[in-house]
Amino acid sequence: MKNKKMTALLAGIFMVGVSLLLILMSAGQWPSQARAKVTPGTATVSPPIPAMVSAKADNGVVKTDWKAPDQEAAKLRANEEVPFVETFIDECLLCRQQKLRDQGLSTKDIPNTYFLLDSPIIKKQEDHYKPVRFMHAKHAAEANDCAVCHHYRPTDPEALETTRCSACHQESFKKDHPERLGLKAAYHLQCMKCHQDMNKGPVDCIGCHAKNVPDHKELVKLPANPAPEQVTNECLRCHQEAGEDMLTTAHWLWKGPSPNTMEHRKEVRHGKGTDVFNNY
Amino acid sequence: MELSRRNFFKILGVTGASVVAVKGKARAWESKAPPDPFGCLVDLTRCIGCRKCEQACNDVNALPKPDRSFDDLTILDTKRRPDEKTFTIVNRYYPGKIDERDQLIPTFVKIQCMHCQDPACVSACIAGALTKKENGTVHYNVSKCIGCRYCMVACPFEIPAYEYFNPITPKVMKCTFCFDRISKEGGQPGCATICPVEAITFGKRNTLLKLAKKRIKENPADYIDQIYGENEVGGTSWMYISGVPFEKIGFNKLPSEPMPKLSETVQHSLFSYLWSPIALYGILGGIMWAFRNNGDNTEIENNGGAR
Repeated sequence: MKNKKMTALLAGIFMVGVSLLLILMSAGQWPSQARAKVTPGTATVSPPIPAMVSAKADNGVVKTDWKAPDQEAAKLRANEEVPFVETFIDECLLCRQQKLRDQGLSTKDIPNTYFLLDSPIIKKQEDHYKPVRFMHAKHAAEANDCAVCHHYRPTDPEALETTRCSACHQESFKKDHPERLGLKAAYHLQCMKCHQDMNKGPVDCIGCHAKNVPDHKELVKLPANPAPEQVTNECLRCHQEAGEDMLTTAHWLWKGPSPNTMEHRKEVRHGKGTDVFNNY
Repeated sequence: MELSRRNFFKILGVTGASVVAVKGKARAWESKAPPDPFGCLVDLTRCIGCRKCEQACNDVNALPKPDRSFDDLTILDTKRRPDEKTFTIVNRYYPGKIDERDQLIPTFVKIQCMHCQDPACVSACIAGALTKKENGTVHYNVSKCIGCRYCMVACPFEIPAYEYFNPITPKVMKCTFCFDRISKEGGQPGCATICPVEAITFGKRNTLLKLAKKRIKENPADYIDQIYGENEVGGTSWMYISGVPFEKIGFNKLPSEPMPKLSETVQHSLFSYLWSPIALYGILGGIMWAFRNNGDNTEIENNGGAR
């Protein structure tokens, strides 16, 4: 009995050692592999990303013009426009599940692990946010049921059983299909409803949307080792209003115990404006 | 001709009868509502209270920037009304429903001009500055406005606001239904365009009514069986469907008769062919005529003589 345990332990240590070695080796080989991966074909398909291409060798970090292939694919996919599906088959959830099972489709058959939720259809109307990164495979694994999101299918028997959202949901308020949700609303209602029901995942705006803010690298001007006051002043140089707003919030004005911060395991007795040192 | 007392009453009777006859011939009140206007259907079960409609409205109409950012949702803690600087606002209500985690479920209500089919403000406007357009808009023309603010008194939804801070060129301010935008082919109001969940559906009013009825019929558990604005004050271009009774979320109970119907009927029947002032002055004149000799004239004559 004891012997068995010992051998198992030894085998475990050996495995860990081997995997560590493998990781180290692959890390050492990585730059050369990466360079080999960049084929001229993929480079011409999409415009290069400036931040990635500018191969600045400062701070000792070697930057390559390598691009994540799945991200490039997601970008291309997000820019596609597909013909509008006029009619669809309205099936119940169970019928959908059965149909997918009959076809042998499961969440393991996902060709695209992740999407950028963006479309020229939405961009035509407005352009406030950067595309939302949607982990398709992760969500599928979590739900373990394609039919939860792929709720209906096009009438056309040739069409995919799990057609993409933007085939049926395109512009809002189509004259011939007033009841059909636009793409933006379809995304929001689908995502938020599920996140709410599951009590999991963001339901506010910034949980999914990185705001389309300008790159602050060029805007912020600070000396090499700035003092805390200098940083605050630099922020306030442009965000004067945000600074004034801050002075009216609880962060600044709070006085007394804070029963609502229980989960943070920290009792805050005073706001920044009272006795905290860095209340510049 | 000497007019006897009897003759006078004869004449009065004939005049009165003819006036009544004319009045009977006068047309009954008719709605001037456009037949196929645009509208918006606000689905309160969808609204998430993100205030993006407020922001879009502010941008589209070039309104002054508010003191607090549109991202600040704590502003929903207080009930607000549209005013001269904001055409639309979102209020939050807790009508009492709770979710499975015992949290109160909020209902968010967007308020703006309802663009009534037969608007009381248009009827009340004495200068013709407010008009109901073919496309459904209740349109305000500042160059005709005399600033009487009758529209503000007339509106059953208390929407028009006045630029009191501006003493020289004040305007009545209210939602424009993005008149310029929706006049273009394929144009949409700013708020409907930006809404992330299509809580606002823009389209022809008749289509929207069908759509609303379909939604209620297909999801009877999610909606109460009423479309606010279908019949209220004779119908409005903006309509609401909700999961909770409208009285609980700040909607006034309003009659289904258009507001101008009563006032215009009274107005038009009293003043058609100026019969009522003619009759009034006729009666007064007749009374004076009938009593012309009854007064005690001697005293006046005596006084006159003394002067």
